[in-house]
Amino acid sequence: MNSGTPSSSAAGAGSADSTAPRRNSKRPKYSRFTQQELPACKPILTPKWVIGTFLLVSVIFIPIGVVSLFASRDVVEIVDRYETDCIPEALRNDKVGFIQSNQNKTCQRTLRVPKNMKQPIYVYYQLDNFYQNHRRYVKSRSDQQLRNNGSLQDTSPCKPEDNTASGPIVPCGLIAWSLFNDTYGFTRNNQQLNVNKRDISWKSDREHKFGKNVFPRNFQNGTLKGGATLKPDVPLSEQEDLIVWMRTAALPTFRKLYGKIEVDLQRDDVINVTLENNYNTYSFSGKKKLVLSTTSWLGGKNDFVGIAYLTVGGLCFFLALVFLLIYLIKPRQLGDPSYLSWNRNPSGH
Amino acid sequence: MRLFPPFLDNDIFPLTIKNTLLQSCYLRNTEWACGVAVYTGNQTKLGMCRGIAEPKLTAVDAMVDKLTGAIFVFQIVVVIVLGIAGNVFKDKVGRKLWYVQYPKEGPWYELLVIPLRFELLCSIMIPISIKVSLDLAKSLYAKFIDWDVEMVDPETGIRSNAANQAISEDLGQVEYILTDKTGTLTENQMIFKRCCISGRFYGNESGDALTDAQLLNAVSTGSADVILFLKVMAICNTVIPVRSKSGTISYKALSQDEEALVCAAARLRMVLENKNGNILDINLNASPLRYEVLDTLEFTSDRKRMSVVVRECQSGELFILSKGADETILPLTYSGQQVRTFAEAVEQYAQMGLRTLCLAWRKLEEDEYQEWTSMFKEANSTLVDRERRVAEVCQRLERDFEILGVAAIEDRLQEGVPETIETLRKAGINFWMLTGDKMSTAIQIALSCNFVSPEPKGQLLIIDGKTEDEVCRSLERVLLTTRITESESKQDVAFVVDGWALEIALKHYRKPFTELAILSRTAICCRVTPSQKAQLVELLKLCDYRTLAIGDGGNDVRMIQQADIGVGISGREGLQAARAADYSIGKFRFLKRLILVHGRYSYNRTAFLSQYSFYKSLLICFIQIFFSFISGVSGTSLFNTVSLMAYNVFYTSVPVLFSVLDKDLSERTVMQHPQILFDCQSGRLLNPSTFAGWFGRSLFHAIVVFVITIHSYAFEKSEMEEVAMVVVSGCIWLQAFVVALETNSFTIFQHLAIWGNLVAFYAINWIVSSIPTSGMYTTMFRLCEQPSYWITMILIVATGMCPVLALKYLRYTYRPSRINILQQLERLGGPIQSSGIIEPKSRSSLDTDSVHEPLLSESPSATRRSVGPAQRSDSFRSQSPPDSTHTRKDN
Repeated sequence: MNSGTPSSSAAGAGSADSTAPRRNSKRPKYSRFTQQELPACKPILTPKWVIGTFLLVSVIFIPIGVVSLFASRDVVEIVDRYETDCIPEALRNDKVGFIQSNQNKTCQRTLRVPKNMKQPIYVYYQLDNFYQNHRRYVKSRSDQQLRNNGSLQDTSPCKPEDNTASGPIVPCGLIAWSLFNDTYGFTRNNQQLNVNKRDISWKSDREHKFGKNVFPRNFQNGTLKGGATLKPDVPLSEQEDLIVWMRTAALPTFRKLYGKIEVDLQRDDVINVTLENNYNTYSFSGKKKLVLSTTSWLGGKNDFVGIAYLTVGGLCFFLALVFLLIYLIKPRQLGDPSYLSWNRNPSGH
Repeated sequence: MRLFPPFLDNDIFPLTIKNTLLQSCYLRNTEWACGVAVYTGNQTKLGMCRGIAEPKLTAVDAMVDKLTGAIFVFQIVVVIVLGIAGNVFKDKVGRKLWYVQYPKEGPWYELLVIPLRFELLCSIMIPISIKVSLDLAKSLYAKFIDWDVEMVDPETGIRSNAANQAISEDLGQVEYILTDKTGTLTENQMIFKRCCISGRFYGNESGDALTDAQLLNAVSTGSADVILFLKVMAICNTVIPVRSKSGTISYKALSQDEEALVCAAARLRMVLENKNGNILDINLNASPLRYEVLDTLEFTSDRKRMSVVVRECQSGELFILSKGADETILPLTYSGQQVRTFAEAVEQYAQMGLRTLCLAWRKLEEDEYQEWTSMFKEANSTLVDRERRVAEVCQRLERDFEILGVAAIEDRLQEGVPETIETLRKAGINFWMLTGDKMSTAIQIALSCNFVSPEPKGQLLIIDGKTEDEVCRSLERVLLTTRITESESKQDVAFVVDGWALEIALKHYRKPFTELAILSRTAICCRVTPSQKAQLVELLKLCDYRTLAIGDGGNDVRMIQQADIGVGISGREGLQAARAADYSIGKFRFLKRLILVHGRYSYNRTAFLSQYSFYKSLLICFIQIFFSFISGVSGTSLFNTVSLMAYNVFYTSVPVLFSVLDKDLSERTVMQHPQILFDCQSGRLLNPSTFAGWFGRSLFHAIVVFVITIHSYAFEKSEMEEVAMVVVSGCIWLQAFVVALETNSFTIFQHLAIWGNLVAFYAINWIVSSIPTSGMYTTMFRLCEQPSYWITMILIVATGMCPVLALKYLRYTYRPSRINILQQLERLGGPIQSSGIIEPKSRSSLDTDSVHEPLLSESPSATRRSVGPAQRSDSFRSQSPPDSTHTRKDN
């Protein structure tokens, strides 16, 4: 009867009494990361912290606002809008016709200096309502061609100002084609005020974006006449008006640097400007302005930053006061368990 | 198949399911088996059961999809509006802009060009990165579950495993838990605890019959009844004893009950020593006995009993020994035997949550047996309706029994089950127990593991009935009661239903039953089949509840697959459930941690992560839209492609990914205040209104960044590349502060990610700015040299964040959410233990005691009775007087 040992009893493999683990899974390794027990700082919004933060913000912001505002106020700026005044009164009914004609467009303007202006004085032209950021416009340029003499034919993005019958246009594209072409000459007391037109563009553009051996070709030779022409024997890297113009503006109102006057201007100086009013902003009722401005550490005259800082600082101070008042008048204990809804009706849900 | 020699040529041998080796069976006691392969591949049980596992979509994902849809609609509207505006602008103004050179006559598709450009610009409105971020986050949630040391079963070393990585958030939103009983709530480790032999109760005092002095005494004195009882325990089974080399005997059994009985018999000196073919060797008090097993009358779930016919080898006498459920054995007694004591014993044991088996025997005459055995053989060989025929034949022999006694087997509750259920119920999760066990056992287990609150609050309503009418009436009554109690007070009502009534209810009265299912927080369904379990899950899912099914055995697989979340317990019943499940854990008590810790954190983190992803995409998109208004509505992109791509993929995705480490409340606080899970269940952190908040925030921040930039970078500074970089850096700065403000706990990683990302932003842009061929050559260097750049950044951050901070502070202090209050409690070191918590603690400890010693547990569970079947007609709401059949209690 004792027929030997049962053959394959396979202990533990069965279903019945196996207390032995079916799966010899290893115990997971303990680390603070795997157990989600990394030390953590858990800040909460106590009144002290929040009121303190708002006070701190206001304490920092109000002085910065005052300083910025002063910086902006220190900047002396002369703005002269001239696009209408520079058209003879008789022709103002057909401004577009005038600007497209071949008449003499020279125009005299007189500026009075309101305050002493320290050199360098920046001369800007300002265009309003000019969409340099229009999609058709921004795309219409070939950086390859501008940089590199070998990429003359690289005009594919430049349509419709890409090619003429006599070959590719250099610089091609709508941006270059529409180059601003008003010119300004300044005299003070019948003395020529020199306008320095060197180094008005970004140095990096001159050195890396516009080639030293790329010369204008077929520019403004097309059927449609755009803006300014370029001297064909000057390399693009030295055509600084073009380089400035090619840095497209993000806003429809923008100023571009025309040159620098490197003498101080005195208060009540009278400056005579002889300008060539060539550029057509009349078809789209754009404004043209001539701007002479000094500069500060914050840039040009711009009150926005100072006012914004004062406003935010003031509001933060106000908020801090309000929070403090609420805190003092109606103190509320943080973490009061009686506010827990399940403590309010003890029977729970 | 086991055939014993001699083989007779014309012998007919029945082939039944018994002769089938199922897939992935263990071959035992033999070295080889030969057979014919039937039902292979997809026809196997495994293949048939597999069904089509539907891909599970979490509620959070569904919500994210919905929000994505809404944003898509918004995007289309924006595109259409801007497209029309763009075309109008082009005709009214654009054609006058000579420098743009619009052709007089465009191609036919001209009108579509501008809308399509805007579609391109706005396509970033729907963040693609959200899918990647969420997938990364989800896999980390799953890893956290795998790694969790506190969810490793200390006994077996089985660790938790998240097989489905995608549904961790749903864990935090569970509303219904449907649980199996045996092996899930209980250990599924059967221990023979008590018995009642010919009217005498053993084991009542000590709680363990094996140490009962009276029983031991009876065995040693050789009391005939007791010896017979033990013999049935030892013989009437299919257990196989295995003798190890050292001489100790272990038992291999299919049924844990049988193993428990045999082991207990062995402890009482009735040792089943050897089974060789049909010959059994038994050792009683060191004197050997030998029996020949002639026939085994198998256990089937219909018969609910099994019997063996044995011949005592020495005397040649024939016996039939039988054991089975009381309702099948007690009616089979010979006329005249008093079964009342046994019925009472069964009732009493069932109330303690013990499983009962009645043991009976009868002497057989030789010719009666011979006549029967041929019939049995014939029945076994029939091809049609074999099971019924066999059952009929068996019935012929199983009659006129003498009841020997009742054995009670305990299936202990798993450790920590009552506390877990208590906590999860407090967290607002409804529990349904679905079990194949009998009603009284189920109710008892339900009581002992906190399924229902103790008496004054809790009530059990029973739905039963055999016919449609009865069930209908019963159901209506219960429904009425539930409605009243639901509306009037916070009573805790549970209904109890058995498989038969459930079948009828589901078939004919689906609507009222559904209503009841919604109203009642707790349900106990007993005697249910696996498919009914799945049907109940389906029912709850149809009512839009998120269900979690937990079970351990093969019969739970369908329910586990059907539920939103399936949790399998890697228990004694094999790994079927664990394999089919989305999560497998070692013990039921880990469910608490799985839901309250892992589920809740996952939900909170995903809610933030997804909404933040929308926020940052909307932010950059709004700026593009605003910019289009000052660029002639022509669809110019303010940003170059590098910045745009890096913004979405890098700058704004990396810091927020580390929010997967964020913990709003500590695990301890959550465990002490499980009610906080309500916020997750009701989806308070991710819904259209919170999303509207993020939408508004992105709009506000876009306005802040855009307006400040175009004003401080106006006129001579309005160069496109510069303005674009100022805007991008403004956004990045705001992002960093938004993430920081929304982070509840900063670990070193979060600091690194948030502030390191800012540093990385500048580093990357400096690198790009030093490449001469890149569009933004030197731009970033120029900007960083300008004081106005930094002043603008500070202004943007302060303007963007101060209102957000102020609002958050006001809400945090004066209209705090529950999470806020607990955060304050936790971090200010206040009294974390609030009044609502102390009371259940003490109660649960009491319950733990009562679990270990079910007999000693006094009134709360034992005296508490439900509306019994005898008097369902009146006063459901009052504490119904004890039911006659249920409350006889004699210890």
